[in-house]
Amino acid sequence: MPSVTVSDLRKQYDDVVAADGVSFEIDRGEIFGLLGPNGSGKTTTLECIIGLREPDRGEIKVAGIDARRHPRTVKERIGAVLQTTSLQDKITPREALTLFASFYLKAARPADLLERFGIVEKADAPFDSLSGGQRQRLALALAFVSNPELVFLDEPTTGLDPQSRRELHAEISRMKTDGHTVLLTTHYIDEAERLCDRIAIIDRGRIIATGAPHELIAGSTTYQSVSLATATAIDPTLLAAVPGIDDLAIDGTRTTFRTATVSRTLGGLLHELDARGIDVVDLRVKKATLEDVFIRLTDSGPREHEL
Amino acid sequence: MRAFLQHLAASLRLHYRNKMALIYGYLFPLIFLLAFWVLYRYESVPLVRHMGELLTVSVLGGACFGLPTTMVSERERGIWRRYRLAPVSTLTLVSSTVAARYIILITAGLLQLAAALGAGMPLPAHPAGLFGAFAFVSFAFIGLGLVMAMMADNVPAVQALGQCIFLPMLIIGGIAVPLASLPEWAQHFSMFFPGRYAVESLQACVNGAGLGAVRFQALALVIIGAGGCIAASQMFRWDAQQRFSRRSGKGWLAVALAAWAIVGLMSEYRGRGAARTTAARTAAPVQPQAPPPAEPPRVVTTQPALSPAETRALSSSPPPKERPAPPRVAEKPAPKSSATEDAQPQPPHPVRSSWQEVTIADIERDLIFDRLPSDQGIVTPIAGSDEDPDPEVADHLEYIREMLPSWQPGKVADPVQRVRNLLYVAAVPDVQQTPIERFAPHAVYERLQHDIPKDQLIKILYWIAVHPTDGDDAAVDQVWALKFQSGAIDMQQVRDRAAIYGVKLLGRLLGKIPEGVRPGSDQGQTPDHRADGLGSHVRQ
Repeated sequence: MPSVTVSDLRKQYDDVVAADGVSFEIDRGEIFGLLGPNGSGKTTTLECIIGLREPDRGEIKVAGIDARRHPRTVKERIGAVLQTTSLQDKITPREALTLFASFYLKAARPADLLERFGIVEKADAPFDSLSGGQRQRLALALAFVSNPELVFLDEPTTGLDPQSRRELHAEISRMKTDGHTVLLTTHYIDEAERLCDRIAIIDRGRIIATGAPHELIAGSTTYQSVSLATATAIDPTLLAAVPGIDDLAIDGTRTTFRTATVSRTLGGLLHELDARGIDVVDLRVKKATLEDVFIRLTDSGPREHEL
Repeated sequence: MRAFLQHLAASLRLHYRNKMALIYGYLFPLIFLLAFWVLYRYESVPLVRHMGELLTVSVLGGACFGLPTTMVSERERGIWRRYRLAPVSTLTLVSSTVAARYIILITAGLLQLAAALGAGMPLPAHPAGLFGAFAFVSFAFIGLGLVMAMMADNVPAVQALGQCIFLPMLIIGGIAVPLASLPEWAQHFSMFFPGRYAVESLQACVNGAGLGAVRFQALALVIIGAGGCIAASQMFRWDAQQRFSRRSGKGWLAVALAAWAIVGLMSEYRGRGAARTTAARTAAPVQPQAPPPAEPPRVVTTQPALSPAETRALSSSPPPKERPAPPRVAEKPAPKSSATEDAQPQPPHPVRSSWQEVTIADIERDLIFDRLPSDQGIVTPIAGSDEDPDPEVADHLEYIREMLPSWQPGKVADPVQRVRNLLYVAAVPDVQQTPIERFAPHAVYERLQHDIPKDQLIKILYWIAVHPTDGDDAAVDQVWALKFQSGAIDMQQVRDRAAIYGVKLLGRLLGKIPEGVRPGSDQGQTPDHRADGLGSHVRQ
């Protein structure tokens, strides 16, 4: 039985449809990523599952329990880190964990959580004196105060420095090792590719692809990227006769394009260059990445590695 | 229950770590107390008369500013949203928040009360009732605070909403400004505000007839509080992104407003707003609650208009531990006083059974005219002979002069009562603090001197000074015929002020206070701000 089943979830805010028939399943012990650009509906979907928002329609089952009919039962079994978790300025991590532990029937010991998430030294420091990384670790500790079967992480690494981000990645990997099921939303492609067993790409409120990262790459496209350096610049009209070239870009002596017919296109291209006496200095053919898949599916432009 | 207690404890801990919250919650009430004490230092039992107002201001500030500010601030930061992820009910969290606020309010109230007692205020007449009244008042204002917390989208909006409620309630809602000083429309208006019922409930337990005498006010507070709680529960929002203007439940605000309207209409139906003195009389003075004298008073030494607390302050003696007794026999020939001296045997005074027996020796022995409140002060002011009233005041004064000879209470057969009634004509505008207050005494003195032979008037004025609570005060209900403001008025204050005006006239008749001279300035007396101004004119 899947840990989470979402069927035909729909949520609309005024004229904006944030989730439009979203359906997916998460298997037990799996790290599942919801990957999408900002405003794609991934946070709305997550918040509907954990009971922060009431969907307009759809079915949500968490650990076999109808989350819409029995939200408190579900809340006993899950933990979540929201995009922004702020606490009162003067509350200490120990006090916050003790307070939240009192909300659950079977809560973890605050001292254990302080130890596990490395905030023992800051256990009695006021919240407003904690660094961003320490606050995020406290947010994770709060998510684990319920001894959760399932953990929901909404863009947990956004705004963190590289060191804190690496530490959090390690912690998320440990969750899987410990047997937790994790739903992670992110707009970092490398994060999704690195951490997730399976990914659902969401755009404009719809799931447009689901699968393991390598499956998505292998199955969703035959396009490959070609990067070519020549001794002299290529005249674009020369390439008109070459079949299968898409997304052509010429920058001085550097030419890049994508093609679904590598052998045929490169054969034609090299023939044309040889006929005109243009030497090839460098030639690279690269298979598609998750980013390529994502860009093609969501029709988004790349922003370094953040989309 | 564990969640309730933990959240309650956390809320209190965080409150006591917040310096600003401590300043607003505890220091401001003490500042209010000090301000009232300074402003009303000349009145009889100054603090005991204003504890209802002081405690109401404290509750109003804590419940209508402190509570919603905390809740909205936490909501804005996403703390309530984080709470919502946990399997804990809204009721649990809101209840613990309210309980924490109640503890904060009651500790602030107790601190204020302790400070007042330290300043010489007698113990509340009904301590248990006071706790009950405080709970009713807190319930009403916390309900209001919850509604504000649900309406305000951010902390600045709380401040704006709070001011919209706080200031009208303070000024025309019967909290900071006595109802008697307000025009009639404002007194009707105040019936729709909880502030009035809060003041009356608390005051009745401090120095009045107790909570049983203000059942309607308590009911009004419960209705207002319940209306607020119901509305707030239906408008509750966890998330700052849920803007009030776009929420579907905002129609429930009508329930809170309806509660105010129902209370106001009930009050109108009962005729409370139109009553002139009912409200004030529910808050009876301290004196009637004290045990009566064991024998008929043969007073020669007492203090018109002086509270025991003030008397202690003036005599520089330490405050007694017990509630002060009413004016009674104090057989002391020497003009000195102290708590310890009271206990020592003193040579007896001659006993006077009627005003006709009063002698100049009695007056010389018992009254000290150079310690009267300044004519230029706040209490019992009298315009100097060189001062001209504004045209409007001059017209009113002329009207009073014309009407006094035919004013029925000024024609009663009993000369003592007649003098009392005429002195009320000076005392009422003084209590109401209307523009005529500084000029009305002239008309009254003229009338008294015209109507009563001087030798009799001297004796009668002395008699009234030492018997300020005797006689009838029904004449106060007829001063409105002299175009004075209508509205509730504190009868004890009126009697006290009348007695002081009596002594001031007596001083003028005896040449102790030269006509046209302003005591407190020309005679070298300290003016109004002097701590020992009022009542020192009566020897102990």
